Parts: sequence; structure tokens; C-alpha cells
Amino acid sequence: MLGIDLGSRHIKIVQMFNGKIGKSTIFDTIEFYRQHGMAGQKKLDIDFESLGFVPDQLTSTGYGKIAIAIEGAVQIPEIQAHAAGAAYQTGLKDFTLLDIGGQDTKIIMVRNGQVADFMTNDRCAASSGRYMENMASILGISLQELGLCSDEPVSLNSTCAIFGETEIISKIVEGYSTAQLAAGVNYTLYRRFAGQLKQLRSETLVLSGGGAFNTALMNIIAEQTGSQVLRADNYQFNGAIGCCVFEEFN
Amino acid sequence: MRAMERIGFTTSIPVEILLAAGKIPVDLNNIFIGSDQASLLVEKAEEAGYPRTTCGWIKGLYSVAIENPLQAVIAVMQGDCSNTLALMETLQLKGIKTIPFAFPFDRDIKMLQEQIEKLMDHFSVSAEQVQESKKRLDDIRSLCWQIDTMTWQDNVVTGGENHFYLVSSSDFNSDPKQYEKDLIKFIAKARLRKAFNDEVRLAFIGVPPIFTDLYQVTESLGARVVFNEVQRQFSMPFETEDIYRQYIQYTYPYGAFARLADILEQIDLRKVDGVIHYTQTFCFRQIEDLIYRQNIQLPFLTLEGERPGKLDGRSRMRIEAFINMLKRKK
Repeated sequence: MLGIDLGSRHIKIVQMFNGKIGKSTIFDTIEFYRQHGMAGQKKLDIDFESLGFVPDQLTSTGYGKIAIAIEGAVQIPEIQAHAAGAAYQTGLKDFTLLDIGGQDTKIIMVRNGQVADFMTNDRCAASSGRYMENMASILGISLQELGLCSDEPVSLNSTCAIFGETEIISKIVEGYSTAQLAAGVNYTLYRRFAGQLKQLRSETLVLSGGGAFNTALMNIIAEQTGSQVLRADNYQFNGAIGCCVFEEFN
Repeated sequence: MRAMERIGFTTSIPVEILLAAGKIPVDLNNIFIGSDQASLLVEKAEEAGYPRTTCGWIKGLYSVAIENPLQAVIAVMQGDCSNTLALMETLQLKGIKTIPFAFPFDRDIKMLQEQIEKLMDHFSVSAEQVQESKKRLDDIRSLCWQIDTMTWQDNVVTGGENHFYLVSSSDFNSDPKQYEKDLIKFIAKARLRKAFNDEVRLAFIGVPPIFTDLYQVTESLGARVVFNEVQRQFSMPFETEDIYRQYIQYTYPYGAFARLADILEQIDLRKVDGVIHYTQTFCFRQIEDLIYRQNIQLPFLTLEGERPGKLDGRSRMRIEAFINMLKRKK
């Protein structure tokens, strides 16, 4: 099985053989579309062999799938792909999945292995991966460093990727340390989806998506919700894995 | 058309009065969303100074009122959108005559009667004339009710068609006679159809969508809308003796709880699998979403729209996931 997740920031491709991950690769979305797009046809023609994959049954999901069709792929909805991926990776049947992607955040309640309810962030990309990238870059630290800070957070009001920048700058002038500012960023991330997380709460929470690298955020969620918080092993590939296992899960 | 006989309004009002006075009723909402320049109308209001962060409908209504020859605009100041106050004021600024109307929040029939009588005085019509006009319109409304029954009971009308015909019952397309003919023609045609075999039945609650392809998309995914809450209310789906009782029974202007009772009754009757609640970006009704969520025990999707046009990729993704979830639950 070949699964492909067309995200806003990255394209993730996974190949599975007998329920095991054989190969997985990640590409920058813009570069990938430039290379494989067929002008005017709204189609991607991908030579999977040249990318190191064995030709196989192909399933796709993600943002891109409405605008862009992939030759020969079965398309499935993102919510169901992520839920299947997380159920497969954790072996759990009842949980809430928090998927933090490049420009949206999904909260999916899974019961008995099936999607029972879901919510997504509202109109803007605040509190998505893009916000983390922007904030880390302003603070002059790596994403990994950002993801370690949760102590003594500075109170920040804005989760807007643009206005947040101005606010951070004024806090720097006030003399807060980088670690405190980074912790503040992580708390605003949590505040942004806290309400939705509460509405679709489960005993166990699973994190996936590129944003799941953020250990500080994971700790904040655990502390604030009282739920057990896990991270899917291959969190960034969760959607692509979901594509591969979707059929057997449904 | 007799331009100066046209009276615009911002949401359903006792249209019987306008027709009794020989005026042409014009629901500004229908002109706005029916225009192929709807997006441009929003932009024109922004250029006039309307903030980007206000509702698209209000901006559209403003431009429609400015651009169409109207004798006056009836602005519903209570029982609809609170932005209507500023809409009325900015229209006044442009020299457009406005007539305020209010539905009493507590559904007090005496207060409503006063408002209706004030409007009757304004147009110099008698209670008898209005009653006659009501009888005539009720005949047309009963055709709308037939279309609604054919939607959920006989299953021969699509959600999009139901929306299209019922939403127009607020102003009878400005031409009750022609509207009646259209309804009769449609009913005759739809009667010959084979019943749909629905995979999923949806309820659509909230104000009519600003999206132009919502019904098309849900139906292409195997889900048919069998209940359009507010559009159905526009058709005043109940028999009443006079317009006072009619406009008291009409749920839309009386808050979330008046609407909720009707919604709960209808979703049960129509055996729907899931509910889509549409809200407009920047609208106070986004707060009321929590009331519906807490009280409706069915899978629930809140959809948000801002500008007129096709569904955006994200909303489409959410609808798809929702319908997929409902199919698997069955």
C-alpha cells in the first residue's frame, strides 16, 4: 500500500508491506508541486519508482486532494485518514486525536475505532505549525528548542501569526528571557484549542501531525486536561499511514 | 417595473401589508445572493467604509439598497441582526428612506400588534385589506408547504430545490402571481419523479447559506438536506387566522429557544441523521451555536461562511468528513 498525505507545508509518502512501514519520505509542498505538477491539468503525475517506492495501490488525502488529483489514487477525507492512522499506530479504539498540521488543527473524537465527532480550528492558521515556525524564527531558536519550554510562561494575547510577532518584540524589549517567551508561545497554542479539546475530551489524547514534536505543548496539555497524552510514533506520517490502513479499519 | 413602488426589507416582515398597499415587496437578501456580482456588492460596501470584520450579508444588503431604486427600506431592528441599526443609519446617510420594524423579543402579541398596526398606518391600509392579502398569500404558501412535504416525506425534491423555492417565500419573488405559477409548475414536474434513495438525510439549520454550491456538494456526496429550518419558517408553515398570530408563531425573530423547539420537532419527524448549523462569520449567532450543540442529540457540524461564492477547500473537507462519518454510523 502507498499512502500520500498532501499537506499545506509538506507532502508525506509512506509505503507499507504487510502492515509494516517499508519506506517513508517527506517533501516540501511547494517544491513537490513544482516538480510533479502538470500545467493546466490540475493533476500530479508522480513517478513513484524514481522516488524510491515500489508501484502499488495508491490512496491519498489532505488539503491538496480537491484541487489536485493524483493519477490513479483513491481519495479519502483527511479526518478519517488521521483517525485510522492514529488507531493503527496506538492500537487504541477510544481516544481523542489532536492533529496539529501546517495550517490547521483537527480535534477528532474516536470511539470504537470510528470517528464519532470532530472539530477544526476556525478561519485562520493561528496555533498551527505555521505559527510555531514564525515564533521560533522571531525568537531566533529552532523548533526543537521551542518545543522544550513550558516554565514561567509570559502571558501573550495574540495567536495570530502576524500580530504575535509584534507582541513578542515588545516583550523582548521588556526583558523576558527567550525560554519564558517560548513557554508563552506554547501556552497560547494550548489556549487556542483548549475549548474544543474540552468538548471532545477522552481519557487518552493522542498527538499527531508535524506540530506533535512539541514536547512542551504535550506536557501543558497533560497538565491542563488531566488526560493521558501520547504521541503517535510516526506522528508526521500519521495521515499517510492512515491512507495505507484506511480500508482495513473500515 | 414601477420602481418607486418597490419597498425593500432586511428580513421577513408582514409582507401582507405591502401587497395590500399595492407595493412591490423586495427582500434585499434575495437580490444580494441572487446577484452574479454578490462578491462585488460586499466589496462596494467595504469601499464605502464598512469594516472588513463585519458580516457579509449586511454589507451586501447595504449595496443592494444603494444600487436599486426603492421607495423605502423596512429595517428590522429587533428580532434579526443587531447590525441592522447601523445599516439603517448608513442608508439614511445616503438619503434613503427607512422604516423601522421590531419583533418583540418576549413574543408579546400586544407589542407585535402595535408594530404591525404602525406599519399598516404607514402604508394606509385597513385590517380588512391586510386580511384579504393574507388569504391570497396563504394559498401560495400552501404550495410551499407541499414542496416541503415532498422533500422529506415523498422524497422527490432535493435540498437545493427546497431551499430555492422556500427562501423566496419571504417576498414571493416580488411577484406573487408569477411565483405561484412557478411553484405549481415545479410541483407537477417533481410529482413524476421516482423517490430518492437517501444514504444520509441532513438538517440544515441557521440563516440561509452564503455559499452558492452547498446543496450541490452535499448531494454529490450522497447526503440530501430534508429540512431547511429558516427557509421553511419564511413560508410560515402553519395555518393561522390572522397575521398577528401568524407572525407570533413564526419562530425566526424570537431567539434560539423559540427556534430550538421547532428544530427538535422537525428533525425527529423527518428522521435526519445529522445536523449542519450554518453561521455567518462575525455574526452573534456563532455564540448561539453552543445552545444548539447542547440540545441537539445528533451528530452536529458547524459551518462558517464569510463571502458569497463556492465552498472553500476547508469547509468542503469538513462536510466530506462529516457525511463520511454519518455513513459509517449507519
